[in-house]
Amino acid sequence: MRIFRAVTVFLAALASGVAAIAVGPSADVAHLHVQLVMPNPTLVGGSPANVGIYFKLEPGWHIYWKNAGDSGEPPRVRWTLPEGITASDFQFPAPKRLPLGPLMDFGYEDEVLFPLTISVSPKVKTGPVSLHAKVDWLVCREQCIPGKAELDTTATVVDHLLKDAPGAGAGAEIYKRLLGRLPEPLPSGDRVVFQSYAGGFRLALATGQRETTAEFFPSEQNILNNPAPQTVTPTATGLILELAKDPNLAANPAQLAGVLELSGGRNYDIAALPGTVAAPKPPTTALDVLRATGLAFLGGIILNLMPCVFPVLFIKGLSLVQSSGAERHKQRSHGLVYTLGIVFSFWVLVGALLGLRAAGLTLGWGFQFQSPVFLGLMASLLFFLGLSLAGQFEIGLTLTSAGGSLAQKQGYAGSFFTGVLAVVVATPCTAPFMGAAVGFALSQSAFVTFAIFTALALGLALPYLLLTLQPAWTRLLPRPGAWMEVLKQATAVPIFGTVIWLVWVLAQTRGAEAVAALLAAFLLLAVAGWIMGRWPAKRVPNLAAGLVIVGAIAVCVYGVTALAAPVASAAETGAPGASKWEPWSQAAVDKYRAAGRPVFVDFTASWCLSCQVNERVALRTPQVETAFKSANVALLKADWTNRDDAIANALTTLGRSGVPAYALYAPGSDAPTLLPEALTPGIVTDALSKLPAATNASNR
Amino acid sequence: MSGKYPRTRLYLVFSLGFCWLVASVLLSHAAMAGPNGVRVGAAAPKFKATDSQGKSESLDQYRGKFVVLEWHNQGCPYTKKHYDSGNMQALQKEWTAKGVVWLTVISSAPGEQGYVTASQENEYLRKMKAAPTAVLLDPEGIVGRLYSAKTTPQMVVIDRTGKVIYDGAIDDKPTPDPEDVKGAKNYVSDALTAAMAGKPVATPYTRPYGCSVKYGE
Repeated sequence: MRIFRAVTVFLAALASGVAAIAVGPSADVAHLHVQLVMPNPTLVGGSPANVGIYFKLEPGWHIYWKNAGDSGEPPRVRWTLPEGITASDFQFPAPKRLPLGPLMDFGYEDEVLFPLTISVSPKVKTGPVSLHAKVDWLVCREQCIPGKAELDTTATVVDHLLKDAPGAGAGAEIYKRLLGRLPEPLPSGDRVVFQSYAGGFRLALATGQRETTAEFFPSEQNILNNPAPQTVTPTATGLILELAKDPNLAANPAQLAGVLELSGGRNYDIAALPGTVAAPKPPTTALDVLRATGLAFLGGIILNLMPCVFPVLFIKGLSLVQSSGAERHKQRSHGLVYTLGIVFSFWVLVGALLGLRAAGLTLGWGFQFQSPVFLGLMASLLFFLGLSLAGQFEIGLTLTSAGGSLAQKQGYAGSFFTGVLAVVVATPCTAPFMGAAVGFALSQSAFVTFAIFTALALGLALPYLLLTLQPAWTRLLPRPGAWMEVLKQATAVPIFGTVIWLVWVLAQTRGAEAVAALLAAFLLLAVAGWIMGRWPAKRVPNLAAGLVIVGAIAVCVYGVTALAAPVASAAETGAPGASKWEPWSQAAVDKYRAAGRPVFVDFTASWCLSCQVNERVALRTPQVETAFKSANVALLKADWTNRDDAIANALTTLGRSGVPAYALYAPGSDAPTLLPEALTPGIVTDALSKLPAATNASNR
Repeated sequence: MSGKYPRTRLYLVFSLGFCWLVASVLLSHAAMAGPNGVRVGAAAPKFKATDSQGKSESLDQYRGKFVVLEWHNQGCPYTKKHYDSGNMQALQKEWTAKGVVWLTVISSAPGEQGYVTASQENEYLRKMKAAPTAVLLDPEGIVGRLYSAKTTPQMVVIDRTGKVIYDGAIDDKPTPDPEDVKGAKNYVSDALTAAMAGKPVATPYTRPYGCSVKYGE
């Protein structure tokens, strides 16, 4: 047999005119056996034949995949072939992770087959040909030994393929057994995308079934931190795999290509494109929940100092003073009812938000302000309330009637209502600490979400509740008297201020016609208030006033829906000469980052008062604008005044669920820095001064 | 309604709540720990080690000078490629003559390939006519792990301000073949030349090639 083969090789060499150093189809070199495998040694013009380079390794020794990982090199083959015959590149079977102290290599132990194909042009004459391969590799255990071998085999070029080719079986068994280890293309219907985040990539695979294990091998070097563990989070239809980045990775890859190994030995060649992959719900520890609850509670307390909640606090302060007379013991109950009102309305809001989300809408915190009807009704309600406080009339359900001559029940209803009011007006003001807590809460199970929002509610209620719970402190308040009437009327001022703001928000999105209708509704409310003030506690006038109020509501709802005209987005309404803010899009972010510029994204909304304050006191100040300019920062504005799924998704990626949010992307790093919800010029310039690479990039 | 010690109880609740809040805020900050390892453009991690002459070496003492770190394993075929061809010695001579501090680092653990005693290393230096400023003996792999050194040879270049300006392979021919030294693009020389001319380093980070560093467990 061997003699026969040597002779044919010799003949082949003669026939093809190639001076081949014939050393046989296999070699046993240091720590391994290498073999040229050709299951069917016939070649037909135009149809590629299967060939393979097979390695059998001594125990403990390994050779490498195409990306060897932290060390090592893949094997290579160089062919010497007769004219008209060409060889394809190696195909690499799915590798294994090979940990080595603090390092991680990718390769093969025991045995491996690298298949490839040999193609013959139809012009090649029939007869025997010699296929000659120079193979070199690096084989390692604790030590690494480079090796090489020259292998050759003979094939016969024939006119047409014979079913029972002569010599079939030499390596055919090996080929058949190991061919299945090649990764396959991802089944059609399966989808894979990746998203980059600070320090890593999230790879989402949808196979239609829950996947529990996965290992990803990147085709490219210097993309991943190879030894870092890869965290699998099963989802209902697949999995999310978290991969740590190479800390020196300068720019995100356009695609994440490599081999993904799933349970049951399924190996797929994947090329994931960028997409949105929400952070998998981390296995929430009690500590995480406790921390978020703490932050929410703190945020709730701070919320009391926010401009949105101020008017309500005025009302509450007033009621406290009013009742500081005889009925102290009832104050405690009122404090509790107020708290209940806050907690209840938070629950309703969260319940509605979760319900709408379950129905498929992409919504975030503050979603109700994206509804113009809500804004219109809210403005009307506050306007009416302002009229009452200013002294035009007394509402039966006086908000400030904790005690006094009114029925007990109504007083409690009033306390409850002020709690509801506090929440409703508080939502557009995201206080410091709140953003992170709310973002976390909305990514958790419903139970945790409610727990965190309850903490937020209790924080908001706390200052007033403490005052009512501790009668000793209310003793510090002045005695009731005529001054209270003055204070009550003064309270109307911030309420009207809030109304002006809401009207401005509507003007931003709905246009002048809608605002005119809203103002007409206000006029009707003023008429109703006048009737109620002129003829108090009489049935017919009250009925008339009620009808006028219904009319006002109708005008308001009609105005903001039917009369709405499209309005240019707020992004274009910057003051002349101010920094140029472009509308946000993920494409714009990617474009500027690819150009090496730092990017600042202002997630904002007209209805978000905190956002407006931040823009005026920090972002639009000459100091900050100069800093933006000198650092060559690309300025993008994501306006979330109306519903926008792309912005909502971008916020989710940042771990947020509402505005304001400020993200600063330093060039080269894709971990955006999130600035706090309450900005000062100093905070922004400090963040910008930490961009050393940015100035380099702009000077380059 | 109010109990006998309402005030005491209230203060207790208050202080507990306050502690909880402070702890929450602190914890949320503690969660933001940075990644370790070398980052090109960042300050080089500081180290102290003993050299083959028994002297103490630290990065601080070379502040103001360019420093090259070369991970070394005399048994590794890739290291041999650069020593047998004389390439590494030539680089050492060329750059130390220009005031660069060249520190060869041996992070092989005792019993592993490349581990040497001080006298064995000095003998090797004599025989190979190698000319590093010093050879750091790092048998516990402390300096190696600090820099996440992966292969021998792996090269790190630190500038005069102590910033890492290059981390990666010695050149662009990842083979053990001495023939490939000729015509290879040497990243270390490129980085030093550019940095000394005040220019940015064109290729600041590559995948190092060679044998894995033989750390102990």
